[in-house]
Amino acid sequence: MATADATVGRQSGPAWFRPASVRRVAEMVAGGAIFIVALEVFLGYNLLDPALWSLFAPAFWAGILRTLTYIGLVLPLSVGLGFTLGWVRVSRFRALAWPVSVYVEFFRGVPPLVIVLFASILGPNLFPERFQSAELGLILGAFAIGLHSAAFQGEIFRAGFQSVPRGQLDAAQAIGMRPLQAMRSVVLPQALRLSLPPLSNEFAVLIKDTSLMAIIAGGDLFHVSQLFLDQSVLTGTGDLHWLFVVWTAVALVYFVMTFTVTRVMRMVERRYHARGLEGISI
Amino acid sequence: MIRVEDIHKHFGPLHVLRGITFDVPRAEALVIIGPSGSGKSTLLRCINLLVEPDQGKVFIDGVQVNRSDIRPEWARQQVGMVFQSFNLFTHLTVLDNVTLGPIRVKGMDREAAQEKGKQLLARVGLAPKAHAYPAELSGGQQQRVAIARALAMDPKAILFDEPTSALDPEYIREVLDVMAALARDGMTMVVVTHEMGFASNVAERILFIDAGVIVEEGRPEEIFQHPKHERTRAFVGKILR
Repeated sequence: MATADATVGRQSGPAWFRPASVRRVAEMVAGGAIFIVALEVFLGYNLLDPALWSLFAPAFWAGILRTLTYIGLVLPLSVGLGFTLGWVRVSRFRALAWPVSVYVEFFRGVPPLVIVLFASILGPNLFPERFQSAELGLILGAFAIGLHSAAFQGEIFRAGFQSVPRGQLDAAQAIGMRPLQAMRSVVLPQALRLSLPPLSNEFAVLIKDTSLMAIIAGGDLFHVSQLFLDQSVLTGTGDLHWLFVVWTAVALVYFVMTFTVTRVMRMVERRYHARGLEGISI
Repeated sequence: MIRVEDIHKHFGPLHVLRGITFDVPRAEALVIIGPSGSGKSTLLRCINLLVEPDQGKVFIDGVQVNRSDIRPEWARQQVGMVFQSFNLFTHLTVLDNVTLGPIRVKGMDREAAQEKGKQLLARVGLAPKAHAYPAELSGGQQQRVAIARALAMDPKAILFDEPTSALDPEYIREVLDVMAALARDGMTMVVVTHEMGFASNVAERILFIDAGVIVEEGRPEEIFQHPKHERTRAFVGKILR
């Protein structure tokens, strides 16, 4: 595995334009086609049922757009906050360490669903009346998902920082680097190398957690799908098969979103790759 | 070049350095020996302020550096350091390890820094390894890179903290040879080591430290063959065997 990656890393050209990557994309398209045909043949679902999509398509796309908006809002927020939390926990400012640990324990231990509910219902009361609106509730709900994920990411970054040996900082300081320079040029790149794999994990979870917005009528993909099925299948105006078709389509969309993000993370991982540190392959 | 005056350092209840004073003139190679836990490493780290002395003064080239109006980073740029465990930056190539300081700290032009870095790597015999990563090198090679990295900052002196203690026996020679060549070229050096061969051949002077004080100092033959103090005699007897 590690050796294979090292070989790929030595090839020239951008990562998405290599023969190996083109082949992988072709495989995915072929796999998707086989999936659709297999559903049709074995279970009698038509994933591309025109009757369904003529009704559902507008909401579906709007839902995807809204979900992407939430991800775009929450992902950077949670990374920024998580990084800060992780740094504070290893920093010299010991006084800040325990509030951070309280934060982490709280958000790790409470179900995100509850946090989203409370944030969207009670959160707006913290703002002056003229700012209060349905959108504010949604934004706060999304923020809550970010705060929840930040607790986990904080621990990931902390582990990354702590895995960098003390001697690295000594060496950086010994050549006259200021603490921030040493952080940027020496500690951070090494901490990131070890933080990235668990971080992609957490990103995948975070992307799927945006579906929790459905509980506060967030207009995201999960919510619009639920709404559509309530109004079609459950009232008898739609085919019962739609239930499976819609959720399959939803699952595929989430899969593509998480897969894209984790692939991007793989590319970033390669950038931080250091030869000789591949670890073991058994 | 380097002068420490009445240095004291406590770690909690432990009084590690108890008033140490010495001078290292320009171009001298000074070797510090002493049992483990005697404070040698702490003393070395006090010189470049990786450890801040609780009391006493550190002078580099006549300037007192442990003062609140002098940034410790400035002091560390004047004095290089080589560590027992090499501490090469694992995420950077050998050449980037050497050029990081000149580029980031001194603001040197990248190309000039690389040119200089390559010369320094050639000087320690590692020109062909410029684009290797530290984890691909032997211990001896890593330590030579660490020496080149210290040299890249054009230090006025270099501190060596047991530079061969973590090495397999077959790699010790190559590192000591590089250090001896540096000493011949007139680099001011303070070396904590147990390599008695190096101490006898290269050092002008040896300090024997025990329990945070200088017990004895003198030329290598005085210390090794005619130690004056009982503690020196016992220690030298143990390491020479």
